[in-house]
Amino acid sequence: MVEVTHLIEIPMAVEIPVGPQHPALHEPLLLKLYADGERIIKVDVMTGYNHRGIEKLTEKNTFYRDIFIIGRVCGICNAVHTNCYVRALEYILDVDPPPRAKYLRVLSMELERLHSHMLVLAVTAELAGYETLFMYLMKDREYVMKSKEILTGQRVMADYMMVGGVRRDIDEVKTSRILDIIKRVEERIKYYHKIFQEDVTINRRLRDTGRIKPREALAYSLVGPVVRGSGIKTDIRIQDKYDAYGDIPFNVITEDYGDSYARAMVRFGELYESINMVRYILTHLPQGNPVPDERKLPRRFPVGESYAAVEAPRGELTYYVSSSGGDKPYRVKIRTPSLNNIVNSAFTYVDQMIADVPIILGSFDPCISCMERAVITDLRRGVRYQVPLKELGGVRK
Amino acid sequence: MRPGLIKEIIKGIFVKPVTIQYPKEQTLIEPDFRGRQYADLKKCIGCSLCAVECPANAITMTKIPDEYVAPKTNARRIYPVVDYFRCVFCYRCVTVCPVNAYLVTNEYRLASSTIVESSELSLSTTTKAAGGV
Repeated sequence: MVEVTHLIEIPMAVEIPVGPQHPALHEPLLLKLYADGERIIKVDVMTGYNHRGIEKLTEKNTFYRDIFIIGRVCGICNAVHTNCYVRALEYILDVDPPPRAKYLRVLSMELERLHSHMLVLAVTAELAGYETLFMYLMKDREYVMKSKEILTGQRVMADYMMVGGVRRDIDEVKTSRILDIIKRVEERIKYYHKIFQEDVTINRRLRDTGRIKPREALAYSLVGPVVRGSGIKTDIRIQDKYDAYGDIPFNVITEDYGDSYARAMVRFGELYESINMVRYILTHLPQGNPVPDERKLPRRFPVGESYAAVEAPRGELTYYVSSSGGDKPYRVKIRTPSLNNIVNSAFTYVDQMIADVPIILGSFDPCISCMERAVITDLRRGVRYQVPLKELGGVRK
Repeated sequence: MRPGLIKEIIKGIFVKPVTIQYPKEQTLIEPDFRGRQYADLKKCIGCSLCAVECPANAITMTKIPDEYVAPKTNARRIYPVVDYFRCVFCYRCVTVCPVNAYLVTNEYRLASSTIVESSELSLSTTTKAAGGV
């Protein structure tokens, strides 16, 4: 008869796929969770479900057609994408847009930041199980979309930037209408800020989830409101002072604690800053003609390369454009903030509850269509670091 | 720490809904909203620049039917036909046109089960020649 000497305990590590189609995620992304009970041991971030090959497409089209293709990289932040690309082209051509055009560019980008942050705050509320707040926030976001329609001609796709300026001017009637909308939206944002601070549901779900220490935020090179939520004061608008950001006064908002709640609070702070900037721009708009004649722009570009960076609503967005002469770019390289924030942030899920995963992901403001361009390196490596069950714990002693 | 939204929700019961019953009630659109655009055949010179510059390849240059009058500047007798299913409404064609031939509208209701394009609209800007050309 065999004598029982050892008791082998094998902890159950359950592999739970969250996505690519999942009620909690609005975009196709696969988070492979390895959970021990309710606690997460490890997360694999799998991307590549939304690859459209836009970088390659830009090489096949002319510089000017690319401006409109680049706008379709991301629906929400299309103005910042085109601004970054257009500025890269302006660096190659050595063109400086007039001051009024610079102000109007900043205006469109700040309106975009407003509705982008309102969207992610609404989604955060929805993921926390507070759908009423989601509906109310989305209702008021629609006013910002209206002001963007007044300024650019469409609710979402601005198509507002052009080499040497912007594509349409603003008159006094439009200015006063946008100011009215902004005044109404500001009151509402103050109200929602109070709800986020006081509400039980939001506080219990958001506080202490997905905490990132300042050292980790730097080590994993996170960007945007995520890194500012961990107390690190970094903002391309201040560091680069591109377009009219050197003239317009604003503050960089930071929070110290680094959890999902801190990131939401950073976004609320930036909403107030954006509103103040919009108000400043509309009252201090320089005179002049911001609209270049698109028929007279140079069709062929000189040989050269340029690099431009903007602070998108989600963080630092950079474009590298290389021209080998002619009318098509040799290479366009896009590095979006979501790529850093989503692919590098797998460590934040560890030791959290399964139910908190959507909230943590939501607090990073994922933009999957943005980040799907640079995924190739991940796929080529194709290495899965899986630990066999018997090694996880309960090893025979 | 009580939800502050309760007051808002009770207030919301007595006010009109924000959503509108779309086909019955029309959406309010700005007069300069980038909607359906088409070429005015009285002005168009058939230079094809809009078709070259279109980022979505939505424009094809088509021959003007013989029974329609074309201006003398349009020697090749071609005009741009915009496929609105492909069009992204960036208005690049409108801004690059050397003779400002494009007519812009704020029409956005373009959903259809058949192909929607601009040939009928463009041809309506010109007249039929008496007895053909």
